[in-house]
Amino acid sequence: MNSLDSGPEKHFDEVTALLYLERQLELDQAREFAEHLVSCNACSTLLRALEKESIWLREALSTDAESIPARVIAAPERTNAHWGWIAAFGLCAAGGYTLWNGFIGPAMSGASEAGFGQDSVLMTLFFSGAFWRGWDAMRSLTEFLAMATLGALAIWLLRKQWKRFTAIAFVMGAMICTLAMPQSAAAADIERGNPSYTLPAGQEVKTDLIVWATRARIDGDVDGDLIVWSQNVTVNGHIKGDILGAAQELRVNGPVDGNVRAWVQTLTINNSVAKNVLAMTGVTYEDERATIGGTLTVLAGTMEVSGHVTGDLLALVGDLTVNGSLGRDALVRGGQFTVGPNAQIAGKTRYIGDHQPDISPSAKLGSPVEITYKKRGPDYSRWDYYWHQIMLWGASFIFGLVLLFAVPAFFASAENSANRFGPAIGFGALFLFATPIVAAIVCATIVGLGVGIAALLLYLICLYASQVFIASWLGHKIINAGVGFGPAIGRLALGLAILRVLRMLPYVGWLVTLVMIMWGLGALVLALHRAMRPQAVPA
Amino acid sequence: MDRHKTTEAMSEAELARLLSRVQAGDSEAWGELYRNYAPAIFRFCRRVLPTREDSEDATTEVFMKVRQKLGTYDSSRPFTAWLYKVASNHCWDTLRRRRIRQDLETGDLDTLPLEHPDPGQLEQLQAEHTSKEVRTGLAKLPDRARMALVLRYYADMSYEEIADTLGVRRQFVGVLLLRARHQLRDALSGGGDPQKFLSGRKI
Ligand SMILES: [Zn+2]
Repeated sequence: MNSLDSGPEKHFDEVTALLYLERQLELDQAREFAEHLVSCNACSTLLRALEKESIWLREALSTDAESIPARVIAAPERTNAHWGWIAAFGLCAAGGYTLWNGFIGPAMSGASEAGFGQDSVLMTLFFSGAFWRGWDAMRSLTEFLAMATLGALAIWLLRKQWKRFTAIAFVMGAMICTLAMPQSAAAADIERGNPSYTLPAGQEVKTDLIVWATRARIDGDVDGDLIVWSQNVTVNGHIKGDILGAAQELRVNGPVDGNVRAWVQTLTINNSVAKNVLAMTGVTYEDERATIGGTLTVLAGTMEVSGHVTGDLLALVGDLTVNGSLGRDALVRGGQFTVGPNAQIAGKTRYIGDHQPDISPSAKLGSPVEITYKKRGPDYSRWDYYWHQIMLWGASFIFGLVLLFAVPAFFASAENSANRFGPAIGFGALFLFATPIVAAIVCATIVGLGVGIAALLLYLICLYASQVFIASWLGHKIINAGVGFGPAIGRLALGLAILRVLRMLPYVGWLVTLVMIMWGLGALVLALHRAMRPQAVPA
Repeated sequence: MDRHKTTEAMSEAELARLLSRVQAGDSEAWGELYRNYAPAIFRFCRRVLPTREDSEDATTEVFMKVRQKLGTYDSSRPFTAWLYKVASNHCWDTLRRRRIRQDLETGDLDTLPLEHPDPGQLEQLQAEHTSKEVRTGLAKLPDRARMALVLRYYADMSYEEIADTLGVRRQFVGVLLLRARHQLRDALSGGGDPQKFLSGRKI
């Protein structure tokens, strides 16, 4: 049975000896072993060795060598999780305050100054990051608050490994210094209109030109970028960099060697723009004389394209008329879409919307217009809607599977973090609102647009991933049993389905989505924080 | 057996009184209970979980569970045993969730050497290693092996309780413990020695 033959004598094996030592053998087995011990030296030596090992193990384990951390010693009134709540909500409040003070407040005043109603404040908010540099008056306070929040967060994240992360701390410090430095050091000519500003013809600004005025007229040339925040802007000179502008009306009559990025009520382009145009506007006119060297991306109420666009046209427009020439494809989402008689579209034309496009028979199109009809808002009476929801479920499920197989440990950790509802929601809310702001700052001041856009993309991926962790957590609450991939996949599928149904609910669906995103994002952040910590045990 | 259980010894009657006060929602009593048992639970977590931070988190979470589940505690049984059961379930859950893929350990005796280990070498090994080194060696063991040793030799759990916590058959616990001892011996005697000289020798 538990004995083994090894030569002439019959000995008991180590397991039996251990079980005997720990008094886990059946009575007759124990008696048999005890009888054997009397005559067998080898087995009693083994027994003694195992016994000594037990004592040695107990001693090693019970030695109180390590200090008990303060966090554990300090008896919490309820639970230790309080500090997490407090930190999360404190940071969240700081983030909210920063957001309000730095963005919403100025955007509102800026918007009314520039002649907008307050209904477009959200748009300002979205777009104003690019004009960070122009916000001279608001700069110190906002940046300080934003960086203080970021710094507090960084300290929290790195509190346990200051030494390891001195490099990161250094980078953070450098960031703060960069922002704290007076902007004039960044070689820009900052002009405040009184109330108007004019750069006379024949004059040349050798650096970037930042203008904050009621009316701005740029007749001279600018070697760098023109950054302008004004009610009415007319650019007649030659801009060798980009134009970044927020205004009620922006007229670009002179040539631009770079890009035009504008948030304006009315944008008119009458000359050549060598690179791309990105605009969020009420009305956009592209004159017959105008040429755009790159892509034209527009979010507008009304738009007319009469000139030439070398690249693609991407438009989300209420009412779009194309009567010029497009070098490549046109992707149009919106209401009315008219293709005029002079239009030439070399590539494909795709229209997604709820109206029949009006296409002139004399327009020259590279291929017939592809039309996809789409009604606004959910239409619960249509099968398509449910089919679409199922497709969305499938997409999120596949995404979740990829995560599950690619980073199983991280996945589990994030799901686990969702248990800490308070801190997760807090951090989720903070990151949800703070990340775009930080990305905007990065875009405008530090490393440039590339890094900022990469950060935003990553942010969007994280937002999408948030549902996966919450779904998995939810699945775990419902079907707890099982370890391994099979049950994990089942839980994911079930959780995603439940979330999808909840999000389809009228009126409260958006709230479910918001909570889900904040919660999941927070869990992700907590898990990332966990993953960043040094691991004592090689897995 | 209550060597390292509490910082200050508490009589059964005292504990019973304290527990009833906690159940009545007395936050001061809760604080006292926490102060008495948190260090032991932290040490337990520290021996089982990979990092100090994890152990801090786990201690907090274990006490959250204790507070929730205190109603289910059967006062005829030792409180510390119940406490360690809650803690071990929590830690094992944590470890398991981190590693979705389970190391598939079976109940076979096949992986154990049949020969007896050399008692002399075993004694030498014990003499040569400090408690700290043993705990470092322990950290290198697979989760289940480490867990088994800590449950048995730190938390003084019965074989039944260990089987229940780790989700193995009662008959397998002995094999699990012995294999864990072998793995610890190997880890301390220089790790990846294919001969595993301390694991066994012909007799
Ligand atoms: Zn023998």
